[in-house]
Amino acid sequence: MKLRKLVETYSLWAFLVALILVLAFRTDFDFVQPQNAANIISQMSVEMIIALGMTMVIITAGIDLSVGSLVALTGVLGTMALTVVAGLPLWLAFLIAIFASVLVGFACGSFSGFVITRFGIPPFVATLAMMFVCRGLAFIVCRERPVEIPYEYEQLKFLGMGILGKNLFGVEWFPGIPLSGIIMLAGIVFFHVLLSGTVFGRQIYAVGGNEEASRLSGINVKKIKFFVYAITGGLCGLSGIIQAATLGSGDPKSGDKWELQVIAAVVVGGTSLFGGRGTIIGTFVGVLLIRVLAVGVNFLGFTRFWQYVVLGSVLLLAVLLDTVSKKIRS
Amino acid sequence: MKKAVLLTVVVVALLWTEGCRKRPSDSESRDLQKPKVIGVSLLNLQHEFYQDLREGMRKGAKKYGYELKILSADFNPAIQANHIRDFIVQKVDAVIICPCDSKTVGTSIEQANNAGIPVFTSDIRNDSPQGKVIAHVASDNYQGGVLAAELMNEALNGKGNVALITSPGVESCTERIRGFKDKIKDYPEIKIVEELSAEGQRDKALDVARDILTKHPELDGIFGINDDSALGALAAVEAAGKAGRIKIVGYDATQEARRRIRDGKIYADVVQYPKLMGEKTLDIVHRYFAFKAIPREEIEHFLEGEQLNIPVRGGTWRGNSE
Repeated sequence: MKLRKLVETYSLWAFLVALILVLAFRTDFDFVQPQNAANIISQMSVEMIIALGMTMVIITAGIDLSVGSLVALTGVLGTMALTVVAGLPLWLAFLIAIFASVLVGFACGSFSGFVITRFGIPPFVATLAMMFVCRGLAFIVCRERPVEIPYEYEQLKFLGMGILGKNLFGVEWFPGIPLSGIIMLAGIVFFHVLLSGTVFGRQIYAVGGNEEASRLSGINVKKIKFFVYAITGGLCGLSGIIQAATLGSGDPKSGDKWELQVIAAVVVGGTSLFGGRGTIIGTFVGVLLIRVLAVGVNFLGFTRFWQYVVLGSVLLLAVLLDTVSKKIRS
Repeated sequence: MKKAVLLTVVVVALLWTEGCRKRPSDSESRDLQKPKVIGVSLLNLQHEFYQDLREGMRKGAKKYGYELKILSADFNPAIQANHIRDFIVQKVDAVIICPCDSKTVGTSIEQANNAGIPVFTSDIRNDSPQGKVIAHVASDNYQGGVLAAELMNEALNGKGNVALITSPGVESCTERIRGFKDKIKDYPEIKIVEELSAEGQRDKALDVARDILTKHPELDGIFGINDDSALGALAAVEAAGKAGRIKIVGYDATQEARRRIRDGKIYADVVQYPKLMGEKTLDIVHRYFAFKAIPREEIEHFLEGEQLNIPVRGGTWRGNSE
């Protein structure tokens, strides 16, 4: 019994470690140099920030397909806000841009949440609709062309640049852990505490575990559901402006199929699509695992499409493991 | 039930008005000297290149008074096949295709041939033995790749390690890579150390370039097969604090890339002229309508084309008849 629980909890970690070891040996330990750690962190941060929200949504037995499109829309609108406020001091302009995109994301997420809770439309359909609308709007508002960050605000790129630990412990962590990575870590801590240590968090699990029972025991189910979508939207906005800042422009094409990647990562991380179960740490491992796979495929010089094959297999395996262990338990 | 009835009424009404607007009987249309209708199915309309191509086509169509129906296939060969089927049903006077897949597009072209509709291709070629294309108008992508290699050689002073950000599966892009590799053989001290796909997308190029930079700290140059790849690579190079040290060569010379070139962040681009290409396609369609044939060879070069005060080099560009 104990052993099974141990396997359940740490099988993913074990797989991750094994994968990294294999990659390390295959690349003459190039893969485990500190630079690559910084590289992987900067790549995964934008996805992880969204995955924080997605984990909560999936714990309530919902789904959010609009996140990729929201990254595009908020990135475009955030950079457009920068062009509008030209002339303001740097810090104020940055705050406005970040605030604008988070707000847009929050508004779109709120709308999804509203439609889902008020009219009882299945989350899959409501957010699918939102996905199309936002992708279309992203292209329309910028007239189909990427919006460049104005010259005077080019320093916004600091969001994606390496800042921390450029020279830590005598090792040059080139290019350093970017600010986006630090935001990601802060987010992980915050949402981990929120989910495991607060009433709101426990209510999220309750709603996902048994909606009817939660309602009868006095939990405001609609409020909980509404907020998980709204928060996810806001996190997409944060991710969108970081992505735009790193790319140097708000690109309506960005975030393509991210919803599927993020959902895959959350599921690999052990969150149940039926709701009620899942952790932020698990999601972190899921996102990390998928990113390690992607970077590993590039390091080995295989064609990009192997990445999809491996990702699909890992996803299936993770869900199989979950289903089988559930069956054994019952 | 009510809903179903309402929906039916709305759909019928829509079809009715649509039918009234667009489909007068055949004889009537001839009497009115209806403008010729040309159906266009483009690879996508998300990339600036194709937006410019569309603009050029519109300009050309306006010149000759043709009506254009421009659709985007969103990289999906199946959608494109449906476009062609729709065009055949609509009895358009000509079809211009920018194939999503050079191999499978032949089937659709053959269907249009059988319906007696002349087919033209733009930018990307029909590589299948099936289907007859009147003319293909495109940049010479192989030559463009050669030019890119020359630019890279110039940027690196003939020596260094180069990575390629590719998009296999798109014929025009693989041609560029082929040209680049063939020409780079002339520079023995330039070595291609990595070749990875970013599917021509900027955020994927950012991640791929980050991996390349991590794996090859000694890298000197990156060639991106389109500007989204080059701009993604630039973002990665800047984030790594290596701006200026790693030379980037792009392809297409979009507005954004030109600005980066002017700033000295991208070394140079191979320039394409999508607007001109679009216009030229319509010229050729017009000539076909007028003479039922087009001159055998019609090659035009635009070397050293647009001279801005930046090193944007001319790509070659041609429209050849088949």
